[in-house]
Amino acid sequence: MAEIHLSHLTKQFPGGLVAVNDFELVIPDGSFVALLGPSGCGKSTTMNMISGLEKPTSGEIYFDKQPITKLPPGARTVGFVFQNYAIFTHMSVAENISFGLRVSKPRPPAAEIDRRVGDIADVLGLRGMLDRNASRLSVNDMQKVALGRSMIVDPAIFLLDEPFSNLDAAFRAYMRAELKRIQHEIEQTMVYVTHDQVEAMSMADHIAVMDAGRLQQYGTPDELYNAPANRFVAGFVGSTQMNFLPATLTLGEQGAGNGRSLTLGIRPENVLLVAPGAAGATLAGKVNLIEPLGAKDVIHLDVAGHGVRVVGVPGQRPRVGDNVGLVFDPDRQLLFDDETDLAVEA
Amino acid sequence: MASVRLENVTVRFGAVAALNDVSLAIDDGEFVAVLGPPGAGKTTLLRTIVGLEKPESGAVFADDENITEMYPGDRDIAIMFQNLALYPDRNVYDNLAFPLKQARTPKAEIKRRVADTAAVLHIDHLLKRKPGKLSGGERQRVALGRAMVRNPRVLLLDEPLSALDALLRLEMRVELKRLQRDVHRTLVYVTHDQIEAMSMPDRVAVLGSGVIQQVDTPENVYHRPANQFTATVVGSPPMNFVPCTFGTSDGVVRVVHPDFSVRVLSTTSAPGAIVDGASCVLGVRPEDVQIGTGNGGAPASVFVTEPLGGETVVDLHLGGLVVKALTPPALAPAPGSDVRVSFDPRRLHVFDAATGAAVVSAGGADGVFEVEGPSIG
Repeated sequence: MAEIHLSHLTKQFPGGLVAVNDFELVIPDGSFVALLGPSGCGKSTTMNMISGLEKPTSGEIYFDKQPITKLPPGARTVGFVFQNYAIFTHMSVAENISFGLRVSKPRPPAAEIDRRVGDIADVLGLRGMLDRNASRLSVNDMQKVALGRSMIVDPAIFLLDEPFSNLDAAFRAYMRAELKRIQHEIEQTMVYVTHDQVEAMSMADHIAVMDAGRLQQYGTPDELYNAPANRFVAGFVGSTQMNFLPATLTLGEQGAGNGRSLTLGIRPENVLLVAPGAAGATLAGKVNLIEPLGAKDVIHLDVAGHGVRVVGVPGQRPRVGDNVGLVFDPDRQLLFDDETDLAVEA
Repeated sequence: MASVRLENVTVRFGAVAALNDVSLAIDDGEFVAVLGPPGAGKTTLLRTIVGLEKPESGAVFADDENITEMYPGDRDIAIMFQNLALYPDRNVYDNLAFPLKQARTPKAEIKRRVADTAAVLHIDHLLKRKPGKLSGGERQRVALGRAMVRNPRVLLLDEPLSALDALLRLEMRVELKRLQRDVHRTLVYVTHDQIEAMSMPDRVAVLGSGVIQQVDTPENVYHRPANQFTATVVGSPPMNFVPCTFGTSDGVVRVVHPDFSVRVLSTTSAPGAIVDGASCVLGVRPEDVQIGTGNGGAPASVFVTEPLGGETVVDLHLGGLVVKALTPPALAPAPGSDVRVSFDPRRLHVFDAATGAAVVSAGGADGVFEVEGPSIG
């Protein structure tokens, strides 16, 4: 187990691309942290610098306050789980899990190896299939075996690089809860790289959102969702994207910043549809399109030339072309400065 | 524009039946999504319609004309592939004009058709650019335009959005739906993404292992799944399945679980479909699982919660099972806590344990099910 500290980490590739730019992050011992961002944001490069596969251009990496930037990957005691699980299909589940111990020097006694494999199989729910050939497993069990194989050497930290991208939707939903449970049980530091905000939100204790090589926000899922630091985070987190509408700051008196250009952000589930002209309706709009998603609808409105998405209940569905009134939940409105894109106090 | 019909089509690759006795009728101007996991036979279905695969048996019709033996180029059916396949050395105009030039369309006509298509797709300002200078979404529209420009009877799209990143996908979903409403093409759309299949089309054809599982509106596929397979491919997180047994005593049909039971008040299923003591599966979607702390409902414990922002997935241990519930974040219980779980009786489904076929489905109606308290003994 270890705390990870990335201090002013910068990676510039030959050719000038700055993939990671002055990145500062402390990952507490035993926590589950997700690195989240779109492709090309620098999250995988950051992961590769933690594991030692890439060397930073500048900055320092500490495990438990010890600088490890100059250590080769093998000396860092890092467990890796990749997207393509890379298990040995000609070996049994037990042989796959024990592999790291069997090749280590000095090799632990066989009874010790068996005990450790058994413990890990219990945590992962693989106890009943230890003798099975790995090639005969389902994909989600294969991914569990890959995780077990990295657990056996008792690494200081686990790095998981988009481990669920190859699994289908139902397995992914199942593995999300499983991995979260496993992490709670083993209490190891886990760093999880993903571009999928649902995975990051659902599993991690803390999420570091990256864009263009820079840290945008580091916070709990709740903070990211309800108090995004800037417009990028606000737009990236949430499965139906936040609505952004132009606004102008008007203060009652002649205040500083009066007339400042702002953007109002409101999530689709925080807009209520009412009859047009009803009391309390802030804006009026027209229904453009309805996307039924099963449990809910996404209703697309045209509001004075701006597209606004609203989450609707399937039972109370308006019709395309209907005129409606919009009520914004006053506690859930966010404001962003148009110059800096940063969130401002309402 | 045209209707398309597959009649008892079987396509075999060696011993494997990629499509097994598939019948599907698509109306003129209709938007149908074909949804299924990888390997279900979705792409084979499209390739059979366009003529790139030849059925071993069965027939394909366009506007009631049998086109099974017709050469692909003569079918007047356009297909847009996942990888777009734009000509990188030609600008947008030439990419769009290409199919028309191949068809020896007069120059003035080409000009007019390209302009019309570009206007519909909002790419009329990009005509001089080459594909390398376009964004992902713009390239997608050009590929779509090239498939549309000849005004084919039927337009087939094979996972057109899967190469795009998440935000662009949201945008293109809305664009495609708008477009189809405006141009009214017969559109067959293949996808493994249940949100795409739910949100855009008029009807969804669910395909599994080469067999059509259900063809219905998105709402009915979601609320009245024909079988367990269909119930699993739509909805996120997927529907929970709880193994139960039928109990028929005193003329009352119950679905019995050690911790609770559900009374079936009315059923349209065939007599004999429900046998006392037979295994069945109760299906309940995560948003229809209610979590309380009172005395009602079955005892369960929370082992993990997954916040998604607008809602939270609560993973519960119920008996030996994991059941997922979807709740507003403010109502999510803490991991480790003991709770009581009940189900919305208007939203339950009962499946045959052996075949997976739906036996009773509430589909949002009252009076079909009644959930009874814990442990009737």
